[in-house]
Amino acid sequence: MKGRYEKIGTILILLLPSLFVFKGGYLQEVTGYVYLFLIQGYVAWFLFFKSGQPFFGYSVTMAIGAYATIVLTEMFQWPLFVSIFIGAVLATAIAVIMFLSTSRARGFYVSMASFLLAILFPKLIEALQPITGGRSGLYFSGITALVGYKALYLLVIFLTTAIVAFFFWIMGTKTGKVLTLISENDRLTQAVGINTRRYKILAYSIGGLISGFGGALYVNYTGFISSVDIEVFTTLYIFFIPLIGGSKVFYGPVLGALFVILIPELLVPVERYLRIFFGLIFILVIVLLPEGLAPNIQKLLRKINLKRA
Amino acid sequence: MILNGIITGLIMGGILSLPVLGVAVIYGITGIPNFAIGVIGVFGGFLTWYFLSFNMGIAILVGVVFCFAIGYIMQRILLTPISEKGGDSTLFFIVTVSLGFVFEGLTRAIFPRPSISLALPRIGTINIAGVTVEGFKIFALLFALGTLVIIRLSEEHTEIGKSWQATSQNLKLAKLIGIKTNRVFSIASGIGCALACVGAIFWGSLYNLNLMTGWDLGFLGFIIAVVGGIGNIWGGIISALIMGMVMSFSGYLLGGMWQSVILYFIVILVLIVAPKGILGSERSL
Repeated sequence: MKGRYEKIGTILILLLPSLFVFKGGYLQEVTGYVYLFLIQGYVAWFLFFKSGQPFFGYSVTMAIGAYATIVLTEMFQWPLFVSIFIGAVLATAIAVIMFLSTSRARGFYVSMASFLLAILFPKLIEALQPITGGRSGLYFSGITALVGYKALYLLVIFLTTAIVAFFFWIMGTKTGKVLTLISENDRLTQAVGINTRRYKILAYSIGGLISGFGGALYVNYTGFISSVDIEVFTTLYIFFIPLIGGSKVFYGPVLGALFVILIPELLVPVERYLRIFFGLIFILVIVLLPEGLAPNIQKLLRKINLKRA
Repeated sequence: MILNGIITGLIMGGILSLPVLGVAVIYGITGIPNFAIGVIGVFGGFLTWYFLSFNMGIAILVGVVFCFAIGYIMQRILLTPISEKGGDSTLFFIVTVSLGFVFEGLTRAIFPRPSISLALPRIGTINIAGVTVEGFKIFALLFALGTLVIIRLSEEHTEIGKSWQATSQNLKLAKLIGIKTNRVFSIASGIGCALACVGAIFWGSLYNLNLMTGWDLGFLGFIIAVVGGIGNIWGGIISALIMGMVMSFSGYLLGGMWQSVILYFIVILVLIVAPKGILGSERSL
């Protein structure tokens, strides 16, 4: 029951910033940006923390969705929505191929292979500069040209909320429960006769598809992408979203995304010290609050309530 | 051109083998994959650059000793306690990358320039079969190989080396016979970081050092160690030399842009095809 309230509360809170559309400006722009990373954060929450799959290639699947959309639309003149769809499918294919090709290796090597892909990919984008624009990047108007910026902002809010609701729904289904079981004890799950490989492929497919779609949405919203945007640190920041916020609660990634994406916005005047600050916070959270910020904020609120009573 | 490519590759591989050696020493003894050592090494390189105008010997010593101390302290107060609580490789990956963030941030905050070149004295040139090579580059290669031989010999013939072997092979037994395993871990971590610093100093005097070099050295060091069979020093050196060749020839044939694309592509393929590396590993030196 508590979980249900948590899910409904999270979805309602996620819908609230749609009101910013009346105010516009900087607040709207930044919120859209946070939501685009929230999609990726929830992919990491689902794939890494809820399904136990050691995947670190989030920036790659996101980038494939983004670049496929631009390149197919601008260079090959394909219809926009077909390009977005193909981009998401390509991202799915890469995630599944990554899983299938590394399934013989142990957990950490799978992490490493996908992480190395995240290092390789921006270098590949730079090497393919005539097509991808490399470091100079590519500009794209996409959906903005069709419906305008405000409508696109609302679309980002609603689609992100729908994606989060989808993840909440799937974790409550039989598939979600099997994935939780796999993350807790893979061998036991196999021993009770469940085809874990099939479920893992499904998890990678869902993760890849949504991450790729999120990437396509990203490039439509920001109107620009370059190899710098998809550097290996992007994958780390995405991974830290559920980790910092708290992976065990449904709203953890929301807190994490606010922290990871919003704090750098606030700390622009002291940008020089940003990496030191982030590094220390990440270490402190991992060592002192391994469950992330959310459960500890809950505890704090409970204490305050008790004192008041 | 072929000979030129081979020599350049050998030298690049030789310098790369220093951080590889650092990763292999740390992983071989502590079982912890440490991704921060490249960034810490480059911090030491910047420190050396800062003091270079006073005295070269002291400047190098300051960098190397500082890195040793950081490696020692980092292991003592952070990594060993996490390891004792049962941290897995993924957790260490996250923690050490975060440590890398801290040191990259410190390099940016403390030093006035984000990109430097270390002006170490050149030794002149040597002619090998018609190809002119800087003597300093040959010195770097010989230094890397010499360090490997020293570590290998000290492991076989000294008391400390034997306690390293014992600790990496059977931790409980090593503790039982009175080896201070925590100290062994900290020293190994210190040596790993000091080796990365020497690698960074060579790299900085032959090419240049910037904020990203540390990550490149650390990740390349780690993946080359993986290709060689992580924890296996000989495998690490051989794969560092092979990877140096790959870098050199892909640079000549396809241009600098494709150099690291091909390198990382090969490493991912090796991880997929032979996850234990080309020579395998028993997690010992």
